[in-house]
Formats: sequence, C-alpha cells, structure tokens
Amino acid sequence: MKSIFTFSANNLCALLLFLVLTSCYSVRIVSTKGAPMPPDEMTRDDWYRDKMVVEIDTVIKAGVLTDDLSLRVLREGCETGKLFSVEYKNTFGGSLLYLVTFGNKRKVKLQYVCMKPEN
Amino acid sequence: MATTTVFDKTEWDTLHKNGPFPLKKLYITRLEGKANMPSTIDRYNDVALEIQRLLKESRDKNEGFRAFGSRWSMSNIAHQKDSVHQNNLMNLDLNIFPEYVHPQSSFEAENLYFFECGNTIKEISQKLEEHGKSLKTTGASNGQTIVGCISTGVHGSALDVGSVQDYVVGINLIIGPNPEDNVYLERHTKPGLTNDFAKKINAKVIRNDGLFNAALVGLGSFGFVHGVLLEAENLFLLKRYVRKIDKKIALDLAKTMDFKNSTFKIEEEVDAEGKPLRPYHYKVFMNPYNNENEYVVEVIYKKPFKTPYPDPFTKIQKSIYRDLIYLFIKISETFPNSIPWFIKQLKNTILPAVNEETIGTLYETFWDAAYQGPAFACSVGVDSKDSVKALEVLTEMTKNEGPIPGIFAMRFVKQSEATLAFTKFPITCMLEIDGVLWKKTKKMMGLEEYGKRIIEVLQQNNIPFTLHWGKNADWGFPGLAEYMYSEKVKVWKEYRSSLLSKEMAKVFSNDFLDILKLSDFEENAPEDLIASID
Repeated sequence: MKSIFTFSANNLCALLLFLVLTSCYSVRIVSTKGAPMPPDEMTRDDWYRDKMVVEIDTVIKAGVLTDDLSLRVLREGCETGKLFSVEYKNTFGGSLLYLVTFGNKRKVKLQYVCMKPEN
Repeated sequence: MATTTVFDKTEWDTLHKNGPFPLKKLYITRLEGKANMPSTIDRYNDVALEIQRLLKESRDKNEGFRAFGSRWSMSNIAHQKDSVHQNNLMNLDLNIFPEYVHPQSSFEAENLYFFECGNTIKEISQKLEEHGKSLKTTGASNGQTIVGCISTGVHGSALDVGSVQDYVVGINLIIGPNPEDNVYLERHTKPGLTNDFAKKINAKVIRNDGLFNAALVGLGSFGFVHGVLLEAENLFLLKRYVRKIDKKIALDLAKTMDFKNSTFKIEEEVDAEGKPLRPYHYKVFMNPYNNENEYVVEVIYKKPFKTPYPDPFTKIQKSIYRDLIYLFIKISETFPNSIPWFIKQLKNTILPAVNEETIGTLYETFWDAAYQGPAFACSVGVDSKDSVKALEVLTEMTKNEGPIPGIFAMRFVKQSEATLAFTKFPITCMLEIDGVLWKKTKKMMGLEEYGKRIIEVLQQNNIPFTLHWGKNADWGFPGLAEYMYSEKVKVWKEYRSSLLSKEMAKVFSNDFLDILKLSDFEENAPEDLIASID
C-alpha cells in the first residue's frame, strides 16, 4: 500500500509540475521594419536589454459579459505610439483565475517595445 | 533647443556585459522636436551646439568625454571613466541636393546620403530602401550605430567590398567648444560635397587624404563624430547558401580566394563556361573540438534587385532557455573537458542550418541579432594567405591550453585605406572566436590570458596580424599597436595631435587609448599636415 501511495504522490507532483510549466509560456510578435526604442540604461539581462520596454502585469476586472479588452499604448515609455514588439505571457495562475471567476477577473501580463522616433 | 539628461552613475557596461567599468556621468541628448524646429538642418546645428556645451564642461573640469552608440563593442573602447554620451537618439538624415555635390566629385549625386551619428545600420538601411538604395556592406547584424561601426572598423565578409568605413565620403567632427571647432573632412582626391554644404552645417572644410584616413577609424578619439556622408548603391538582393564542404576545399578557398578554379561549385552560380562565380561573401564555421572532415560554409552571391521574391524572414524563431546556457558555463568552469560536448549539443543553435537557402536584401539578410546573454569575441585579422596557418596554430593552442566555450569562424574583407584599419591586408581574413563569457577558474584559463596567448602564438609563428578594435583582446600587451601597424601609429598620432588642441586630445582619450599608447600627444607634428588641399 505504501508503495502505491508513494507512486500516486509522485505522479501528482509530476502532474502539477507539468501543468505549471506547460501553462507558463510567452509568445512575442516582432516587427521586421522600424527600430526599437533604446533604453536610457541597460539594466536587464534578457531580450529587452537593448530596448526600452513597458511592462503591464495586472488583473483587470472585466465582468462576465465582457468579450475582449483593449489596452491603449500610452505616451510614457512610448513617445512614438508605434509598436515594435509585443510579448504576451500566459501563466497557470492567470488561467486558473479566469476559470474560477468565470472570466470576471483576467490576468494580463504583457511587455511591449515601441519604435524609436524617426526624426 | 536640444536637451541633455544627465545620469549620475557608478558604473557602465557593454551590451554583452564585458564590464562593468567605472563611470561618473552618463549623458543622453535629445534633439529639439520637429514641431518647434521644423528644419532638419536647424535641428542638426542646434544639437551640435549642445554637444559643444558638453565638451566645454568636460574640458573646463579637466575630464574626459566619450560618445558611444549601441554599446556593441566588447572591448572598453567606448568607455570613459568621467563621462560617456549615448548618441543613439541623434538620428537625423540630411538631404543632399544635386547642387551640394562638388563639381570634381566622382560620386553619383543620387548615391550620397548624410546621416547623423546615432542612426543605426537598421535605420539607415530602411531610409535608403525608400530611395531604392542600399548600404554596400554591414556587419553580421544591424543594431550598431553608423559612427560606432566606422570608428571601430565593423565588417562583414564582403571580400571585394570592404568594411563599413570604406564607403564613407565625408566626416563632420566636433573637436571642441568654439565655433571654429566644427570641421567637415573629405579626401582631397575624392571630394564629395561643396563648401556651401559645409557652411550650412557651420563647419570648416578640410580636404586632406592623410587626415581623412587617420580620422576614419578614429577609435572615438578624433573628436565627436556628428555626421557622415555615405556612398550608397542601388538596392540589390543576396542569394545565400549554406553548405557543408570538404575541409581542404574550404581552407584552400580561404587561402587563395580563387573561387573560379575551385572544385566547390553551386550549380546555379556559374559563369557561361560553367566555372564557379566569385561570391559577394564567404564565411567558414569551425568547431575546434571535433575532427570532422567537413566545414559548414556560408556563401552569398549578389543579384540585381527584382520583385517578387520569397519573404526571407522565418515566421517563427525559437530561442533556448538562457538559464540552460548559464548552467552549461557553470559546469564548464568546473569541468572544462565538458565544453566540446556542450558545443556539440548547441550545434543547431550556433551554426546555420546546412543546405539552407535564402534570398533577400542586405538589410533582410543581416538582420537583428538579439541579445543572448554575456558573450565574448576575439577577432584576429591576418592576410588571407596566412589564414590556414593562423587557424592551425590558434586551434592547437585552444585545444591544448583550453578548452574555452567558443567556436571559430573566418570572414574575408577587402583592404581599407583607413590608417588604423585592422583590415590592412589585400584581403584580410578575420579569424573569429565567439562564445559565451566565462569566469577564470583553477581548471580553466581566463579570457584575458586567452587573449594574451593569441598574440604570443601568432608572434611565435611569425604571422603578421591585427586585432578587431571592438572585440576582446589583451590590449595591454607590450608594444601591441606598433607591432600591428608599425610606422602608421606615429602617422595616426600626428594627425590627431594636429587636428586637436592638447587639452581636447585629453578630453577625447580614454583607458583603451592610454593602454595602447595611442593617446600620446605629438608636439612636433608638421604644421601643414592637416592643411586643406584643394
């Protein structure tokens, strides 16, 4: 019995780990024209190291009748208002929140880079 | 009025994290907005005054000042401990009208374009494309600023074209805070624009081949390079092939550059007699840790521009977890013998896919190279005739005294006229060792030591060489600059000392110049050395 219990607990852990890992991924769309806005200071250690990035990490209260959401590109961090890249990150927690609130609360995790001014 | 934001700093780093280096102040200058100052020339002249104001501040405080673009250099060439200036928001382009072209100019008016220092290769390529034009060559990517490229000698593998600096026709330098410290340089044998154009940018014209060639690869120390006049050409396409070919054939080509009589042939790329065509670009990739009989080569042929052609961009690009690479490096530092295995596992990420074929413009072919974590690159220039010998001795040293986490590649570049161009041989083979930055351990030599051994091994084998100014090397190696460039070092210093006042020469110096002894001021340079020859 003990060995079956251990096997099941291991499986459960593996399943949970699998769910957590596979439901956390990011997809980025990148423009092939234009140039990204450079940062004032290079502090990051990822794809955004040489880019000025705006991050949105929030939970939006949508209401169960809301179909889609639009986020506006604001002036702060984006003086051209033109997008160079947008990255959307899906997380296990975000999906779970959407499910248990019947779509009322939506986790939004976005990173975007704007175009450099052309002058 | 252009404005400068000042950041108080304690350190500064390159894009590939080759520092950090100590720093007091970081300046970022922004142009006046178009709405307030619609004329492009007015905005160009306005920001020039702002740069002169900053230079005056540095001079008065007896401090250094150094401009940088995109921080792509891995050496400390772009660093200055007092203050650095980020140029990349200074990206104007000035219209060159036919009446600005010098009557004795051999350049087509439609091919001359003037760009401000902070334009990146990517931005310039797009602006030129709007006119049906292209740069002649670039580096392997497009994120560097034009002046960053020129000042450090950035190159591709265009064996009959040259490096980025080799299509520069004019250079606008700000050499101090006074009105007369704005100069526009051209070669007297190849004038580009009229004196009237120079007047429009408030600059004094100096046409002098010697001065121009010295200032061209100026290592950021001939003044603040505000703008450059480039010669572009009609838009063209590049047909790119990746093949795996016999090692001996690949190396014979590297040594002789005789493509016509080689047994390496791409069926679509032959002349009327069926002989192989000479490519625009030839690159050889080598893993020093295996003894395969074949090398991966990248061969590119130039074609007239015509549409339509297939979209050269792959729709989906995957990247591996950066943490995985960091883990590999951590393991390698403790178990260096694992490096060849790791390189083998990362083969598909490092090397282009064999039998890949693409067609696209220069801009599309050498596109973005995303930051992939701390990196190093050592790059040695040798005569293409010595390329095989240099590869052999450096591979042996790397295997015997390493290993180090990098792979080798060879690119080939036509000779430059710039006084301190590292592409100084008729065709220079740039032998490159690129990889992931590692830390020295008891079991593994450090990058500095590796850089020193590269120099020692080449000297021991009597192979004349140069080093890429923007890459990692033991820059403090005794007598290095003179060994590489002999009497040209003195010539370069004389031109610099003639153009700059002693105090401004100090402002435009940095540790990189000091350690190479290139910042020495030559008091006795001939008086007429930098006279304009019209």
